[in-house]
Amino acid sequence: MALILAFAFASVTQITSLPLLAALALAALVASGQPMAVLTRLRAPAMLALAIALALALFSGSDTLWQAGPLHLRSDGVAAGALVALRLLAIVTLTLVLLGSLPPHKLAEALRGLGLPAILSDLVMLTLRYIDEMRARLARADAARRLRGGGAGWRALPERAAVFATALIHGQHRADRVWAAMRLRHYGATRPATPPFGLHDLLWIGAALALAAALVWLDRAT
Amino acid sequence: MHLPDGLVPVGMAAAGYAGSGALLALSMNRIARLPDPQAAMPRAAMMTAVFFAASAIVVPVPPTTVHLMLSGVMGVLLGWFAVPAILVGLFLQAVLFGHGGLTTIGLNGLIIAVPALVAFMVYRTAAGRFPRLAAGVAGSGGVLMSLAIFAAFVLLGLPAQMDASAERAALMVFVLAHMPLVVAEGIIVIVLLQILSRVEPGLLPRG
Repeated sequence: MALILAFAFASVTQITSLPLLAALALAALVASGQPMAVLTRLRAPAMLALAIALALALFSGSDTLWQAGPLHLRSDGVAAGALVALRLLAIVTLTLVLLGSLPPHKLAEALRGLGLPAILSDLVMLTLRYIDEMRARLARADAARRLRGGGAGWRALPERAAVFATALIHGQHRADRVWAAMRLRHYGATRPATPPFGLHDLLWIGAALALAAALVWLDRAT
Repeated sequence: MHLPDGLVPVGMAAAGYAGSGALLALSMNRIARLPDPQAAMPRAAMMTAVFFAASAIVVPVPPTTVHLMLSGVMGVLLGWFAVPAILVGLFLQAVLFGHGGLTTIGLNGLIIAVPALVAFMVYRTAAGRFPRLAAGVAGSGGVLMSLAIFAAFVLLGLPAQMDASAERAALMVFVLAHMPLVVAEGIIVIVLLQILSRVEPGLLPRG
């Protein structure tokens, strides 16, 4: 559903469709029930959107709106910048609202439901399970390196490579133990059946398809 | 070095999905030929988590910093598993942090996974005789190749009315700003693979 809507948002090419795009993103943000948490995660994408909008406004198009020395603000550049920036922010908002809040097992289940190989959805679930642990391990090892008088910047690259190597070796040993535990639990002998799409799921997918089609039609009609 | 959502035309994003899908199908086919493909999965997940965490390491490029990409070393250590691992990493980055993009996962996958596979093949071929050179080529070459693919996608995808000379100048600045990363990843991969070959040679691919 998120992917259908994201591609529909990405296909918007008319500036007149932007208010609708913004309204849909705003509705998703409000419906998420935690708008502030999503807005916090939108900070970096918003900076990127602003940078792209500025670059396009200053370096694309021909009709100069405003000029200051070598800088020309162009009207078609502003339109192109607004289009790209709003598309970006709307899609990221949608992604964070619809997928960012799902627990790992739900995410893996959804991927299996899309027909992806089990090895891929299991890879997602195990990676999610260990990301925080590996980040904390690398951060601790790097802090210990600095406390031992380790350098910073370019001179520290070989030391940081050693820290990275240690984390990889630890990861390998940990993976061996995880695999042993998985075999003990008869991993792969029986796979939990992916529940088929229910009426509820089909209704949501249908609604997303209808909304995407309406958005594309409105965009092309204007 | 990710293409964000909304920047490239939707047709190009869809073509990226097709390209990455084909690469993924090829990789899954090769993985299925392994003696015990399921046994390799926990290791791939653990390595993906470590790479995900290590990509937060920054290299100072005054006045800013750039993050490690690690495409080459992922290819060397994960082999064919690098393709699903990279796509999983990109998916999680888009979903958890809003980095990269959901519609551009396919294109971003090609930007990172193609150099990873090339690095894997280069290292497997040359590491027996020239281990340091092969590691350096895998590390630096991976970043260089990613830069080239990224630049090609940006040139293809940016709005047509964009001033061509300004576009080329901006891309040139972007590529030059990443040259220190090319050197840094070369150094890191040489040291890393040297340590692994001494301490845990089982992690390295056999030629």
